[in-house]
Amino acid sequence: MSLASEQSQTAPRRSILKYLLTFSIVTTLGGVLTPIISYLWPPMRQTTVQGSRVRVASLKELEAAGGLITAVEGQAIVLTYSQNSVKAFSAICTHLGCIVQWESAGKYIQCPCHDGRFNAQTGAVISGPPPAPLPPRETVVDGDDVFVII
Amino acid sequence: MTEQQRRFSIIPGIREWVQNRVDVDGLIQGALHVSIPRGVRTYFLGGTTLFFLGVQVITGILLALHYQPSAQDAYQSVLHIMNSVRFGWLIRSIHAWSANLMIITCALHMLRVFFQGAYKKPREITWTAGVVLLLITLGFGFTGYLLPWDQRAFWATTVGTEIAGSVPVAGDILKNFLRAGPDISGLTLSRFYGIHTLVLPVSVGLFVLVHLALIHEQGLAGPAGKDDGEVES
Repeated sequence: MSLASEQSQTAPRRSILKYLLTFSIVTTLGGVLTPIISYLWPPMRQTTVQGSRVRVASLKELEAAGGLITAVEGQAIVLTYSQNSVKAFSAICTHLGCIVQWESAGKYIQCPCHDGRFNAQTGAVISGPPPAPLPPRETVVDGDDVFVII
Repeated sequence: MTEQQRRFSIIPGIREWVQNRVDVDGLIQGALHVSIPRGVRTYFLGGTTLFFLGVQVITGILLALHYQPSAQDAYQSVLHIMNSVRFGWLIRSIHAWSANLMIITCALHMLRVFFQGAYKKPREITWTAGVVLLLITLGFGFTGYLLPWDQRAFWATTVGTEIAGSVPVAGDILKNFLRAGPDISGLTLSRFYGIHTLVLPVSVGLFVLVHLALIHEQGLAGPAGKDDGEVES
């Protein structure tokens, strides 16, 4: 057998073996790394069905306080009561993400980080650095119970 | 560049750059090759144990990234790993199974060395380091068993530390030390977690280093009476 024909017979076999070896190494690594990387990924937060209502406060308490901060399914919510109506907004300041607080003396929502102030009824910016109003949340009042729709 | 060298290179440029400065190939070859006697059949048990140790290190680090070592949260965080974290059940199960298998291979490895008389001069230091490694491995098992913080963990540790307490004279001191107090509490959990994830890993690393360095230095012992027939492998 000449040298040339010998090469043409062995070379494809070797390259197929190399291909198979690479393939098995890659699939093995993939099989090991896929669980590890998915493991490191934070798990989904379990949430209630979208659109369901969650009781957040009693109307009497809210009326007395004028406003309060609460957490619904991991979302911070600010509730306000003025002129016989309940309003709810996201409590995350639109400036740099701090949780706002209810300023009972001045009847406005205030962010403690950089003194951003929001209107209690509309969520609009009164003063300070926030670039946008607080996003509103839908509320339902049923007897003494105040619900937020999430 | 030889065929052998080319196979190990992932990015040839970087490999060559390093190789021009440090003999990495030589280091790798030196780390991989140990002279062993011809025709042996039972010399894989130590390596298998080392493999399981590697598995434990990787899965253990992964578990530590989700586990919360406090009396209040430990059990919940284990449930969280098993039920919510993606592949958490797999990582934790591998850690548990590999722990058991590691102790089995460790014991078999010791029996092999014992029955073939491989612990004899000049390899007594390797043997001693190996015995320490066995004790460390059992320590891993003992401290790790408490971490799920369920009923079985709690009572197993109660019994285990009580056994330590039955040692004459020093028993009570030992028991108090292990429990970080008179009873098993959140402090015991912190203590066991610290030992399991900090003290023992560092110790095991040091002793494995000594164990392997001695094997590389001395080579492996042949079956009795055939110590001279060593070959490179």
